[in-house]
Amino acid sequence: MVDATETKGLRAREKAIAEQFMGGFPWVMVLWPLINTTVWLSLWPLVFIGALPIWAAFILATLNVIAAYLPSHDAQHHIIAPEGSRWHWFNELIGWYSLIPLAAPLSALRVTHYEHHRHTNDPELDPDYPMAAATRLGALAKAAVKNQPLHDRYAATLQRLDTPAAKRAMLHAMVAKLLQYSILAALAWSGHVWEAVLLWWLPHKIGSVYINFYLSWAPHQPMTGSGRYRNTRAFKSIWGNIGSSGMQYHIVHHLYPTIPLHRNPAAFRALRPILEERGCDLGNLPR
Amino acid sequence: MRLIAFGFSLGPILFGVGFLAPVIAALLDGAGLSAPFDLTPIQFGLGLGVVIGIIARQRKTWLW
Repeated sequence: MVDATETKGLRAREKAIAEQFMGGFPWVMVLWPLINTTVWLSLWPLVFIGALPIWAAFILATLNVIAAYLPSHDAQHHIIAPEGSRWHWFNELIGWYSLIPLAAPLSALRVTHYEHHRHTNDPELDPDYPMAAATRLGALAKAAVKNQPLHDRYAATLQRLDTPAAKRAMLHAMVAKLLQYSILAALAWSGHVWEAVLLWWLPHKIGSVYINFYLSWAPHQPMTGSGRYRNTRAFKSIWGNIGSSGMQYHIVHHLYPTIPLHRNPAAFRALRPILEERGCDLGNLPR
Repeated sequence: MRLIAFGFSLGPILFGVGFLAPVIAALLDGAGLSAPFDLTPIQFGLGLGVVIGIIARQRKTWLW
């Protein structure tokens, strides 16, 4: 553990290390959504013309929905192109495009995600807190509950904030929901029920449970810690870092949100001695 | 805005009509079952979809 006199120097060392992993153009986080969303969009004509069996499309669509969130997460933090740069529109384009399979607007996710960073694990103010659970099974149950009408806290968070950005985000969220369900209904009533169910509705449900489990619950559980070095942890997932959507090293993201997701593992390894000195929960991640 | 909020409060019922009804009809067709009370599959789907939607709206859940 660190005493107060060492804290300032340690923080400066930590910052110097972290800055080595910031900046530059995150090609991975740009190519990822361009491929992922384009594949998901391609599934529809491929299934309609019979070039791809619907069961295979269902598996691919579920993976697409699961993979749709993370590039937008980097865009939420303006990592692809910083605010004020002449390329910032590209950051926004990537963020919105990546979220098409999830039918969620970048604006709403950004506002609520920033609230998560500001109030991590706060039972009243963290929009992700409804995922608090003591066990994995409990977390899966909470994720299912969050899918029920009016059971998530994101709309309530936007209403509570009541800023122009939050109001805009709320409008975007309503339009996105209306569009998604209008398209699903149009497909279902025009003889494409199974395409609607297996390419979008069911993958969306499965993807939501996965995203809530790995992104909201796993890196923050038991969701009781507060403060910079206590509210997020590192952990070893049985599915590895890719299978857990990069969340094994989520502690790095909470400390330095502008490090791109794909650089978090390297940043974690570089920061590990300092995190150990800070007494952070690094789970069972091997050295 | 109030009208939009009201529209969204009817979400589960609209989902029952707009999505569940054709899904229930397709499930009946796929399973080779006929709808009860001499209804067509889509008529049955509409009836059941509305009922399930109303219950989900009142209970704020589809699951319990």
